[in-house]
Amino acid sequence: MTGMPPPPAPMTSLPRSQSQSRGSKTPKTPRSPNLRPSSSNSLMSDLNVPPIPVEPQVLENAIKNLDVLRSTKTPSSTTAPSPAASGASSPSGSHMPGADKVAAAIGAALSGEPKTISAPGTPHFGAQSDLLKALDDTTKVFRQTSMAPTRAPSVSGIGTVVEKPDYSEAKIVVAMVGLPARGKSYLSNKLMRYLRWLEYNVEVFNVGQLRRSKARTQQQQGQGKADHSATWFSHSNAEANLAREKLAEESLESLIAWLKKEGNVGIMDATNSTFDRRDKIRERLSHEPNLQLLFIESFCNDPAVIAANIALKVQSGDPDYAGMSREEAERDFRKRIDAYESVYQTITEPGISFCRILNVGQQVTMNRIQGYLQSRVAFYLMNLHLKPRSIYLSRHGESMYNVEGKIGGDSDLSPRGWEYAKALPALVKDNIGDGPLEVWTSTLQRTQQTGSLLPFEKKTWKSLDELDAGVCDGMTYEEIEEKYPEDYESRDEDKFNYRYRGGESYRDVVVRLEPVIMELERQENILIIGHQAILRCLYAYFLALPQEELPYIVIPLHTLIKITPMAYGCHEERYHLPIAAVDTHRPKPQKAGAGGSHPHSRKQSVIDVGETVSRAPVSRDYFGDLSKVMGDATSVGVEQATEQLMRAKESGELTPKVGKRVVQ
Amino acid sequence: MAAPLYVTQSGRLWHAGLILIVTVGLPARGKTHLSRALERYLRWLGVKTRVYSLGDYRRKVLGGAKSVPADYFQTKSPRSEATNALRRKIKAELEDQIWDFFTVQGGQVVIYDANNGNVKARRECLDKFGSRGVHVIFLESICDKEDIITANIRSVKLSSPDYAGWSADKAVADYWSRIRDQEGVYDTVTAEEGPFIKVMNVGERIEVNRIEGYLQSRCCFFLMNIHTKPRTIYFARSGQSLIEHSYKADSDLSPAGWEYAERLKAAVIARRKALREDRKAAGEQLGEENPLLIWTSARRRAYHTAWPFVHSGYKVEQKPIMSEINPGVWDGLSSAEAMERYPDEWERFLADPYAHRAPRAESYHDLSVRLEPCIFELERVQQDLLIIGHASVIRCLLAYLVGLPPNEVPAVEMARGDLVEVTPASYGVMTRAFHFWSGEGRGDASGRNLYENFAEGTTGKGTVLPDSGVNFTQDAQNMEAQAVEEEEKEKEIKAEIVKTALQKRLSIGGGDGSRSAPTLPGVIEGDRESDDGEEVIREDEDDIEGETIGGSTAEDSKRGRAMSILEI
Repeated sequence: MTGMPPPPAPMTSLPRSQSQSRGSKTPKTPRSPNLRPSSSNSLMSDLNVPPIPVEPQVLENAIKNLDVLRSTKTPSSTTAPSPAASGASSPSGSHMPGADKVAAAIGAALSGEPKTISAPGTPHFGAQSDLLKALDDTTKVFRQTSMAPTRAPSVSGIGTVVEKPDYSEAKIVVAMVGLPARGKSYLSNKLMRYLRWLEYNVEVFNVGQLRRSKARTQQQQGQGKADHSATWFSHSNAEANLAREKLAEESLESLIAWLKKEGNVGIMDATNSTFDRRDKIRERLSHEPNLQLLFIESFCNDPAVIAANIALKVQSGDPDYAGMSREEAERDFRKRIDAYESVYQTITEPGISFCRILNVGQQVTMNRIQGYLQSRVAFYLMNLHLKPRSIYLSRHGESMYNVEGKIGGDSDLSPRGWEYAKALPALVKDNIGDGPLEVWTSTLQRTQQTGSLLPFEKKTWKSLDELDAGVCDGMTYEEIEEKYPEDYESRDEDKFNYRYRGGESYRDVVVRLEPVIMELERQENILIIGHQAILRCLYAYFLALPQEELPYIVIPLHTLIKITPMAYGCHEERYHLPIAAVDTHRPKPQKAGAGGSHPHSRKQSVIDVGETVSRAPVSRDYFGDLSKVMGDATSVGVEQATEQLMRAKESGELTPKVGKRVVQ
Repeated sequence: MAAPLYVTQSGRLWHAGLILIVTVGLPARGKTHLSRALERYLRWLGVKTRVYSLGDYRRKVLGGAKSVPADYFQTKSPRSEATNALRRKIKAELEDQIWDFFTVQGGQVVIYDANNGNVKARRECLDKFGSRGVHVIFLESICDKEDIITANIRSVKLSSPDYAGWSADKAVADYWSRIRDQEGVYDTVTAEEGPFIKVMNVGERIEVNRIEGYLQSRCCFFLMNIHTKPRTIYFARSGQSLIEHSYKADSDLSPAGWEYAERLKAAVIARRKALREDRKAAGEQLGEENPLLIWTSARRRAYHTAWPFVHSGYKVEQKPIMSEINPGVWDGLSSAEAMERYPDEWERFLADPYAHRAPRAESYHDLSVRLEPCIFELERVQQDLLIIGHASVIRCLLAYLVGLPPNEVPAVEMARGDLVEVTPASYGVMTRAFHFWSGEGRGDASGRNLYENFAEGTTGKGTVLPDSGVNFTQDAQNMEAQAVEEEEKEKEIKAEIVKTALQKRLSIGGGDGSRSAPTLPGVIEGDRESDDGEEVIREDEDDIEGETIGGSTAEDSKRGRAMSILEI
């Protein structure tokens, strides 16, 4: 239809429903669970403003204002129609009376931007200028007039708390299948960590643990120590068979009860090694129409993998083997495996959902994988491997924005940041030796500059870019607090869920990082040079930290974090380089009555390299005055730092842009 | 232009080297379907991929089935030496072409679409390419359900040039005999042969052996997610917002945008009805209507556009990764302003609108990579799907579904007010566009509405954005009337619900109409936003208990107006 009549390009028309008679007493909360306004200058307060009657004149003015805002241009702009003008308002829109004034104001706001050596922030409707507030004030009238009794959540201010999406429909029973020492518990734990990171409610129900805890109670009640040596696991021991059967059933029942109540994924960590046993599980779940069943078989025929698993089991102080020598324990454990092996039936049943993994990732068979979550689980398992490796995390060196206390941006490194970039290769080399290593950076200058001197293969990921602070990009926390005190507080109340307007929340970042995690699992030694929020999310994945703690994880500047995946969890080491930097960590503000001074209480093995710290790290208090703190602690002030950097740049001392690899 | 997930210094993509995917399977097992789907996916990722089909090449060289030597497909008794030589020659020529694609044309992945049902032939192929550094994977398609096979023959093979001029039944019988013939000599792929992916009954079961490497495991995950159940995917843009071209302002819908949202819902309902009627008329057996799932981005204007759906109980999911392309430092600038302030960047952008990334912005390439999880979920979903999104996101997703090359992505034109319908078909998709809204926010005087990522600045730049870019705006069929009709119908139903409820209330509440009356203007005039009579009545109750009891004269006058609207 080429001959479609061109639509008129009118000014914003008056909303048809001007009269308002909504009840002003109880504001209705939107029905959707996904969004709720959190701050008082958001929807709630809009509703509390008596909405009736809106004078036509007020509305008209608002529309006028809006058109001015829309067609606002910088004074330098040409006369070519802007997209806004062509899309929404008449060509004459930009010449409306009053437009010049606003345009001038914006121009001032733009030129008033502090001159930095980095690419400028994005001032348009940023929260620094008064434009955003002007917009919100203007559109408030529309929000009051054009909505029905129940309204979609509206926007104003610099962000909102966004609730977790509804995962209540996902209910999966994952039943592990495999002989002892085949890495079932390893896979279960890994899967639990991954899915919990994605905010699913996951629990592992370990039949072995249930058995042991029962035995313990029994012993405490003076009924003697239960015999859980290999004879108990023999298939010819009828009494024990019955007891084991009962245990499995009990474990499954508590799993089902938990799933129905609150869970998303219940992992049944047991051998489930016979057709008969699996049939019973299927039979039981056929009565639960809302629960899906997925079997995961871990099959190993690589003696090395099995031996390693047995050694781990015996060493780990398994209570079953308390008071036994290691050789004795190993012998008994191998007997137990033999007992299972004699009756083991690998999954061949047709028509069931399963995922069969040979030697942790060597070969994978998938059958009837249904639903999104199941396929995610299967793909995740496909990417795992057992090769020993480490993951190194480092923030970029101190950036100019760090020094200035600003968030976001794409600034260059500060002189101290460059010192870190120069020191990093030796530190990494010390650690990795001749091993292979790949370096991942974000697309932002500060991470690329930090990695520029590393003699390794590099990859640049857009998904590793820092959390987008939306309208607050380029502001300092002080500025935000001053201009939007309520928003500032509400972010502290629920930092994980707080989404900056036009930007992201920590949850959004987790979602965006999921492919990175997948790729990380597949890789071997990796060094990620990232940003505070990004590394918090990645760190939380490896160390299984809950969402509430995630935004407060301490990831200092100029510190290399080494994470080594182990059988059950990860081992962590931190190497702090003695190069001073500002402290960008902002702990959760303490509320009266809130317990615990520091949410992140995990023990860390911090290893300082270098004998003495030459300069005390500068502690920057975001609520206090920067210059005061910095003046005492360091010889370099902001201006000096900038000057130094500029000089260094001019004299060609530094390699400011990345892409050029520096051969050492 | 390639679209790797990350950029490497060496410039090699994916670190995957060259990959040859050799299909294995009896005829009519959906090998071509899998090949084409995989090709579409890999191309969308930016990997230079091509399907080489032995059947197509044979037809090109020899012509249809009637001009092929009689013993060409024969397996039971030995073929004549001349035929064997011919077969070898055709195969060798095709494999030369594959090698040429790898070495001369810079291709990275080839999907070699042939039966390859013989261990010896596969070994030869593996040796030939493996010894030259190509990673060879077998992709076997197995199907043990005869109805699937017959359906496949009827839907795909009968239209093949091999059977031009044959009767349908005769062709089916001939094809079955061809299959039976080959079954006798068919060897399934075993673990000893090398890395393989086996797909049973189009995705029901997947078996993977020794698959390593990024691209390879991506392929597996992709194959795990595709299905062939019939469904429809709709795309529409969000309504007009108060501040149209600011990424950061994330503003609410304008009044026109709210009207648009209502109309969109009516249009989708009307279109789904019409489609069902069409299929019924075509003699299809229709079961329950496939439920509709709605995805929006987490942007206010997109979610608001879905609000009428939310309100009527449809399942609406917000996906933060579906936000529009990030304009970076160009946010809020017009093309002219961007050109003036960032002249160098602008030049580079014009040179490659797909891959150029302005400072802190996303390129279309970045956007594609970001959207990848969406693609998988899109493939997996079995319900009908409506995606209410932003121009840039819809461009990428449509480009994937339609199979456009990356450099055409920024050129896909889709105006606000068009509903694009995508129906997966055997070797691709069918797309149709419907126009349902001509109101405010549709576009400029020429109907163009392309402000995301400055695509309008690149049009008319000759080879940069070829005119072959898909333009849904031009192809849109008008269904505005039906949509309006549907909207009217819904309004009537709603009014009826309100009326009944009110009457009930009046008869119970002692007959004083003034009590509930004050809410009426809001209900009636605001019902663009309200689809749910129940909700309205509850609101009404709030008022009864509140300040409006014993209404004033002003309210009385409102009552009169409201009632008269209700009488209509």
